[in-house]
Amino acid sequence: MKVEKPIPVMNKLQLISDENLGDIERAKGEGRKVIGFYCLYSPTEIAVAADAIPVSLCGTKNDPIETAEETLPRNLCPLIKSSFGFAVLETCPYFVFSDCIIGDTTCDGKKKMFELLNRYKTTHVLQLPQNQDDAGALPFWREELERFKKLMEAETGVTIDHHRLRKAISLQNRERAARKALMDVNREKPAPITGSQMLEVLSKVAFLADKEKSIALMEEMVCEAKEHAFRPRDSKSNSRKRILLTGVPVGIGSDKVVRIVEEAGADVVAFENCSGYKKTFQVDEDADPLDALASQYLQTPCSVMSPNGGRFDLLEEMVRGFGVEGVIDLTWQACHTYNVEAFQVNEFMEEEFGFPTLHLETDYAQSDTEQLRVRIEAYLEML
Amino acid sequence: MRHAGIDIGSRTIELVVVNDGDILSTRQTDTGFDPMAQAGELLNGMDFDRIMATGYGRNLFEIAFDAPTVTEIKAYGMGVSALIPGARTILDIGGQDSKAIALNDMGAVKKFEMNDRCAAGTGKFLEIMAKTLGFELAEFGSEALKAQDDLHINSMCTVFAESEVTSLVAKGEDRRAIALGLHQSVVRRAVGMIKRVSSEGPIVFAGGVAKNPCMRRLLEEALKQEVLIPEDPQMVGALGAALLSSRMKT
Amino acid sequence: MSEQYQSMWKELGLNLAAHDMLLEALGKGYQDIYLSQKERPEGMGYFDFVLSEVHGLRIKELMDEKAAGRKVIGSFCVFVPEEIVRAADATLVGLCTGADFATEEVEKILPRNTCSLIKSAFGFKLGKVCPYLESSDMVVGENTCDGKKKSYETLKDLVPNLYVMDLPQMKSDEGRALIQAEYFRFKEAVEELTGVTIDAEKLKKGIAIVNNKRKAIHRLSLLRKADPAPISGLDALLANQVFFYDDPVRYTDSVNKICDELESRIEKEEGPFPKGTPRILMSGCPMAVPNWKLPWIIESSGGVIVGEESCVGERGTRNLVTDGGDTVDDLMEAIVDRYFKVDCAIFTPNPDRLAHVEEMFREYNADGVIHYGLQFCQPYIAESMPVEKSLEDKGIPTLRIETDYGMEDAGQLKTRVEAFMEVLKP
Repeated sequence: MKVEKPIPVMNKLQLISDENLGDIERAKGEGRKVIGFYCLYSPTEIAVAADAIPVSLCGTKNDPIETAEETLPRNLCPLIKSSFGFAVLETCPYFVFSDCIIGDTTCDGKKKMFELLNRYKTTHVLQLPQNQDDAGALPFWREELERFKKLMEAETGVTIDHHRLRKAISLQNRERAARKALMDVNREKPAPITGSQMLEVLSKVAFLADKEKSIALMEEMVCEAKEHAFRPRDSKSNSRKRILLTGVPVGIGSDKVVRIVEEAGADVVAFENCSGYKKTFQVDEDADPLDALASQYLQTPCSVMSPNGGRFDLLEEMVRGFGVEGVIDLTWQACHTYNVEAFQVNEFMEEEFGFPTLHLETDYAQSDTEQLRVRIEAYLEML
Repeated sequence: MRHAGIDIGSRTIELVVVNDGDILSTRQTDTGFDPMAQAGELLNGMDFDRIMATGYGRNLFEIAFDAPTVTEIKAYGMGVSALIPGARTILDIGGQDSKAIALNDMGAVKKFEMNDRCAAGTGKFLEIMAKTLGFELAEFGSEALKAQDDLHINSMCTVFAESEVTSLVAKGEDRRAIALGLHQSVVRRAVGMIKRVSSEGPIVFAGGVAKNPCMRRLLEEALKQEVLIPEDPQMVGALGAALLSSRMKT
Repeated sequence: MSEQYQSMWKELGLNLAAHDMLLEALGKGYQDIYLSQKERPEGMGYFDFVLSEVHGLRIKELMDEKAAGRKVIGSFCVFVPEEIVRAADATLVGLCTGADFATEEVEKILPRNTCSLIKSAFGFKLGKVCPYLESSDMVVGENTCDGKKKSYETLKDLVPNLYVMDLPQMKSDEGRALIQAEYFRFKEAVEELTGVTIDAEKLKKGIAIVNNKRKAIHRLSLLRKADPAPISGLDALLANQVFFYDDPVRYTDSVNKICDELESRIEKEEGPFPKGTPRILMSGCPMAVPNWKLPWIIESSGGVIVGEESCVGERGTRNLVTDGGDTVDDLMEAIVDRYFKVDCAIFTPNPDRLAHVEEMFREYNADGVIHYGLQFCQPYIAESMPVEKSLEDKGIPTLRIETDYGMEDAGQLKTRVEAFMEVLKP
């Protein structure tokens, strides 16, 4: 076993993460509100503009699932069950800190789970359109965001004006630009940051309440990565197959596929999912801010949209831009939308790039690790 | 009047004869491939006036022997109430099914849950896993209790668990620890089911798997209360059927 | 009987060998489950006939309508407004979704853990055995649940004339505006397909025809309050299923005739099951022909079904379109109002459904509720636990069943249902 050398910038991330709960607690003490978010579709800018702190909520670990299954059907995706279990058990500090929760009508499982979650903490559900067509869906979503804005105003007592919204957009744009720059480092060959390092950084940064801290940290990481601080320059890294992971979000605790890919001698160089590259867009800072938020967030290419053309555009751009040699399409068990779309993703990859995807359907448990390993290794051999 | 109850399960058949609430005799045999032939043999030479059938083979028995039937859920409710008056919750894990039954204060079935179509969390699951690990079924529980470590098994599906167990064995993990982990996975499933119906005590554990000492220990730990086991846990269904037969109006 | 239709089926592009197999299985299932019932109302003879000709005479009628220049529109869901279709002098038919077919082929393009109903729709298409689908000039899909919504993207390649209707997920003002906009868009699509301009008079006529059909099935439902129930749940389910296939005017007459007969049965206290038989309210996922598994198990285990809280049942048929005025816009508003009340589990939150289950439980003097969830149908299965809990808190015994179209679990289901009957009538 080789000894991993500590990476200073990762230590710094750990330090900042450790301070995070204290930061939130202090802010709450000063009267600021904390708003919990489950999904990428609700613009956190609206909470920021109301001087509230948006936080991501836990949902990537297996432990709380057993408790969730006392109330929820077993046949729901692990992300939904984990999120619900964390909430019920009060083991997610961000959920505990949250003054209210924002959910969206993304998939059936989540929207029905929110009905039950509301018994534990006020959960406002935004009605998300099921397609992105401009004529009907955009004005519809714009209306929902107006309602969301009013909810935030009522929650915080702050009146959200254009100026506040613009400032929030600009801040969040900077954060997303920093995330993008960090992920774009791996366009280089060989990838300067390993997939599991990237996953750890992205997961931890998502929870940080102080956006300035996270922006500065990610910018520093970009410089460090270019100096090969994350992984030593190694002549062999160039021969590692470059894999793009698409599909459902992954995080700490739900990272087994990334680990297996790396153990099999390949690199996950890009994440086409909502914990990764889907969160790198820029909101127009010149347009009416609510219009701009509505239009940009609605474009998020999640499989809950029908059709979901944006995902194929994004995949195409990423496969080319990151020099991708193989695509693993991950579906959490019982996630119908990604599961059904997997068929089209495979068809698309075969037609456009001449190689198939490896579609994996699994959950957070470790029970199928060996089966996954065989399939992943065989896929890598095939490329 | 002598009343018999016959419980035709997926693995074994039990017969109980009662007279005025007293158990006169009990018998047991394997179900085998021809349950009705086995049942007929079990009845051979037995002396009773009426009989009632329960268990998954009850409908076959009804046709073959023209006898009334009752589900094993009601039969277990009756049998347990007779053996342990005041019992409020029953866990019955048999060869192919597992059930949690809540009784009201009169001993009548109030609510029940049953495993879905797969063998997860049943006697069959433990039997297959014992075999995979090279244990005799009878010693599986006691061997698991000797484990030093607790090993977490995620899979409850027999097929997945088998491959999980195989890969653990290949990794050189202790057989007993794996066995303990497997028992725990069955208990987790059972406890989930119990909690959905009620977890009011006294809780009684019956059915063939109740003979497994490891199951009882883990159940008590998980439920944080004593779990009672009738002296002959496999006879409960047949006894319940016999008692229900004696209550039936002619 | 099938020979006379062979050429019609061939013209529709059906796979004749596979289709013969399907009809044979359907006939046998019908014989075992329906014709073996005792004390059936005489009027059910009409439905026996309809079922025996469901791929024959009825399709012939549709083909004749098409030859006369009328259009046929196929649908998978009760959110597709039949009034609009009727107003354009077209016919709306329910599409085949009640049996497993060509499952292996289906699972090449859909995930294995998709609900039976969706897989069945694909199976009938891939196996080329649904004459309704093949004779449809337009097939309407709708964005209800995740499974359907995403599957339509794939179905579009197999069914080029697929039209997808968007639907809201919340009953807010915005949600209502969305369904309203979609119904207007649908009206235009139907007008374009048929070449008929829908005016107020035509729309009123469409509303009247569909309202009458609903009134007839409501009348039948209410008669089931009696003890003994004058008709079996299986037969009443069949009437609800045929609602989606038959000519609406003829259907209305036939149901009304059965109702007359049931009224005299009630006077004489006659029914297929004796007085005092445990009375079951079914609630949950829809049951399309020939998905009779669970009702059959219930009624052969000592229970009688007295109501269906389902899309093939009262959720789908309750509420009439109110007389909404004299302009197309006003009438469309009335249609929107009617459909926006449908309390499907795709809506969040969906409190009306629970209230309706309780209302039906009382209305039909039920003894217990059996909640039927189709495996992998997340909206209904997610609602099943809270519904069960709420009902039990009110002292209403409830049994939750999750199953699919396969018969492997029939024995296990029978044990559960029988035990539930023992709970109801100890």
